[in-house]
Order: sequence, then C-alpha cells, then structure tokens
Amino acid sequence: MSVTLESLATCFQGLLPAELFTCSRDGIPNAAYLSHVDYVDPNHVALSFQFFNKSRRNISENPQAMVLVPDPDTGHIWRLRLRYVRSETEGPLFERMRLRIEAIASYCGLKGIFKLRAADVYEVLKIEQVAEAPDPAERVSVWRHADQRPADPVFTMHALQNLALRLHTAESLEGLLDSILVALDESFGFRHSMILMPAEDESELVTIASRGYSDSGIGSESRHGEGLAGLVAEARKPIRISGLMRGILYALAMHHHATDPKKVIIGRKIPLPGLENPESQLGIPLLVRGELVGVLCLESEVPYRFHEEDKQSIEVLGNFVAIAIQHMQLQERSVAEAAAETTGAVPASPEPPVPSPLPGRHQVIYYQTDECVLVDGEYLIRSLPAKILWKLLTTHRDTGRAEFTNRELRLDKSLNLPEWKDNLESRLLLLRRRLEQKCPTIRILPRARGRFALELCRDVELSVRP
Amino acid sequence: MVSQELASFFEEGIGIHIGSRSAALEPGGARALAAKVEDHGASLVVYMPALFADQVLPDLQSNGQAAVLFGRPIDDRSVQVKGTFVDVRPGRDDERAMVQAQWEGYFANLALIGIPGAVYDRCPRWPVLAIRLRVTALFEQTPGPAAGAPLS
Repeated sequence: MSVTLESLATCFQGLLPAELFTCSRDGIPNAAYLSHVDYVDPNHVALSFQFFNKSRRNISENPQAMVLVPDPDTGHIWRLRLRYVRSETEGPLFERMRLRIEAIASYCGLKGIFKLRAADVYEVLKIEQVAEAPDPAERVSVWRHADQRPADPVFTMHALQNLALRLHTAESLEGLLDSILVALDESFGFRHSMILMPAEDESELVTIASRGYSDSGIGSESRHGEGLAGLVAEARKPIRISGLMRGILYALAMHHHATDPKKVIIGRKIPLPGLENPESQLGIPLLVRGELVGVLCLESEVPYRFHEEDKQSIEVLGNFVAIAIQHMQLQERSVAEAAAETTGAVPASPEPPVPSPLPGRHQVIYYQTDECVLVDGEYLIRSLPAKILWKLLTTHRDTGRAEFTNRELRLDKSLNLPEWKDNLESRLLLLRRRLEQKCPTIRILPRARGRFALELCRDVELSVRP
Repeated sequence: MVSQELASFFEEGIGIHIGSRSAALEPGGARALAAKVEDHGASLVVYMPALFADQVLPDLQSNGQAAVLFGRPIDDRSVQVKGTFVDVRPGRDDERAMVQAQWEGYFANLALIGIPGAVYDRCPRWPVLAIRLRVTALFEQTPGPAAGAPLS
C-alpha cells in the first residue's frame, strides 16, 4: 500500500458519514451509511455492529466489503477494500466504540437505548483515492478557516511553559483549577472547559471549575456512566466526539424521535455547564496511579475542533494536571492540619469586623433526608457541602462564632468525613463558589491556611425540615 | 414502483450513492450527484460523475445488479432502491442545471448540521453519466432496527 491507514487518521473521527457496500451470496449489492469507521491497527479497521441488518447478513455470507471514507481535513475520499475477519464483543476496541455510541446517546437522553453488539474487524486489502475534479488549489482544511481557525500550532513550547508556570505558582486548589482552565483558554485556545471532581458518593462527579460558559454550573452533578464526563469517569479513558450534531441526529433517527435534540435532554437540579450547540467534545480522565482525581472536559462549537494530535497532547497534559491537583489537595490538607496544631482548634485571633447587615433576611432551610440546603426557596447545594454550611450557620447562630478551621470540620462526627482523602478543601471550595453564584450575601472567606470565616451580610433565619 | 412522495425525496437534493458488484461478488460503489424518477416510478435515472464510471459501470453492464442509497443528513432518513441496469448515456446540457441544483441542495442540507459543503469540493460535477435502472425493490434504510424493511 502506498497510502497507510495511519495517515488517514482524520478519516476515522466520524465527522462525515462513510458508506458501506456489500453483496449477498446471490449477487444483490447493498449500500448503507455508517456512523463511524474505527481505526484498529495499520492493517485493520472496525465497523460498529448494532443491528442485524442487510449489510451484516451479507457479510456473514460474503466477507468482501468496500467503504468510502471522506477525509474532513483534505476533502479527499478514500476507497477501502475490506475483508471481514472477526467480531469482538469485549476488549479495548469494543469498549472504545461502545463508549462513543453511549456518549452520544447519553448526551441526548437516550442512554442504554442503543447497544453495540460487536466491533466487526475487517482487514484492509487495498486503499485507493477516489478520482477528483481537477483542482489546482490544494486546501489544507475546510474546517480551519476564518473564525474557526484554532491557535495553530496549539501545543507550542511557549504554551506548555505558560501552563507549567501557572501550575507551579498556584497557591490554592481554587487558584490551581482556575489557572488550568485559563491556560487552556489563553495558551491553547480551548475556550470552553470544565473540571469535575469525585463527589462523596463515589459514583458521582461534581463540577468544581468551569470557564467560557454564561452559567458556570458549579455544583452540578454527573453520575458515572452518564454524559461525557460520567462516561469518561466510568471508563477512565478519554472520549472524543466530533460532529456531535450529526451523531445526535443519527441517534434520534434510530429512536424515531423528532429532530429537536433538546426535547429529550434530561433535566438536572443544577444544569451542567455546556454550550447550546456543541459540535466537538473531548473528555480526559485525570488519573494518578489509577486513582480518578477528576475529569477535564473541553467543548467547541466547531464540528472538528479536537484533532488526533490535540487528543494525544491533552491526554499527556491531563497526566500532569492530575498530579498537580492531587498534590495541591494533599498539601492543603497537611498545611491546614499543621496550622491547626500550632494555634488550636478554635482561632485565637480577633473576630473580623462584621459588615453592616443589609435589610431583609434569608430563609435558609436544611432538608435532612435529602441533605440539601435551599435559600429563599431556591436550591443551593446538597450532600457534604450542604452539611458543612448548615454546621457553620447553626454554630454561628448558637455561639456567635464566625471563624472556623478545616480541622474542626474534620473532627466533627456529624459531618461523617472519611479519615483518609476526605476532599474537604474541594468541598469548601465548591460551597464557596455556589454561595458566590447564588447567594453572595452569605460568604465564606479564607483567612489563612486551614482557616476561614463565615460572613453574613444579611440576617438569616434557619429551619430544618425532614 | 416509486411513489410520488418518495420521488420527491429522491429528487430534493440529498446524499446519493450507487452500488454494484463484480462477477466475483466484490462490491463496488460511487457517489452520485442527482437522481430522477421516470416512467411513473418504474425507472430511476442516477447522475454520476463520469470520472467515477470505472467504479461501477463495467459491473452494471456485465451483470445488471444495482443498489442506490439515498440519505438526507438533517434527519438521516434513508431509502435504498434495488434495480437492474437498463442503459447509460452522457448527461445532457439541458440536465446540467437540475444536476447542479440537487448537488447544491445536498450542500444546503449538510450546512444545517454544521458540515460545510466545501468538504465535497473535490467531487467532480460535470460531465456526468445518466444511468437508467429499472426499479425492482425499495427498502427502508433509516438507521435503526427497521433498516432493511421493504417499502411497499
């Protein structure tokens, strides 16, 4: 082969439909669209097997096939002559293809509807370029022009130095998370991003930082296996989707739904941050020695924004980012512990000046069964951050105390924090950000390492409901 | 027989591919630019770039078996026509505007889902061959469990 399969990597993103041609044993040709052709190795590709359709029956009778795959970067169309080899129902290839289907289905609320029966592996016998119109102008990419052009090349040494500097100089978990997203935007051109971290319930993620969205979505949750972040967390593998709109329409067509994908999107207590019309998504697990520290998600309205080299580079970046986050979490905890040991659990420093309260008062209700807090009838937060807020507010009401330490929260049995890896600092950060967003008159202000103050700019009335 | 509704669908400017097979049952196929239903639904004329002729024409002329796939990007509605080869001729000048209009209609449909038509700029547009088929069967091809079901 003069052209290699590796050199056609951009054809295998599923951005443009491919066509599969087969023939039955009795000589009737068949043509069908394919949602995705997957690269397997230098001599093989895989096609998804979801339904027992005519193409699949033909292949079982006659293993010869041909696919036409367009290259979205160059506009060349390639003819791959194939021979069916085997079907895989487990393993990395199957999982990769399954996850892509699941991610798209989950995005439009159809998770679990579509089942990948097998990844059908074909040997590539021949690669030919389809004849083209005489065109002297050699285009680089139709996707990379005008305002869609990314900062190219993206992964420059300068950009990496910028990120490294930000990682090194961040002084808190909050600063670190924000720095990562700022660097991805300003140095790499990825404008819409979010970081989710594991919640107390280990099967859930919670959004702790985001950038480039009108609504930050801080505190929004995603269960493992649901949505892009949830699927990345479950699989602990990166997932990239190009041409999301086409994938959604394909999924909806399969489900015989209307063409408006919004009709079936699942509602949430706090909506996940997201673009209204995303076309490309990339999710990367942030792993340290196999432990899931978080998930980094990038989005774009450009259909083919995350190229193969982007995915690989962001995966590498994700490794460093994960280590930096975990290191900062451990450091914040150890510093907070050390600070508490030197000064005692209850701060000796004078109380900060209390601001003059604004008129009116907040109705703050804690729902015990759901472990969630509502302020003035609006949902604020749930789970451990809700319990922490309730603890702070009731302590302040009962004792007048406004300064607290991380350590006393750790020792508080009512909060039921795990002894190891309680992620308290990230929960406090989450609580602080939700308050900033939804109730800025109740504030949590860092005072020093391991120490913070509750500041009420408006009176609160506390009540508990079952 | 192709119904009036299906004929309108085939001719509205959507994705079209024609498939064939060799004597050794090797599948072949190529993109087409336009289609026209004739003889009250009994015949289908497929307009394919002449540069693609070697991919399907020898087989069509040899064994006559053809499959034509129609697909609309915006909703993935797809239909497959099975047919037998009748004849082939060069596209006429008076058909050029119709072929061009259907091809550009396909681009407009792609644009609705965010795909610039320029991705297919390299596809030859003219001259074309008009391949006439006798329609023998119609099948639902929209992705999903019903794909492959015969259409009356």
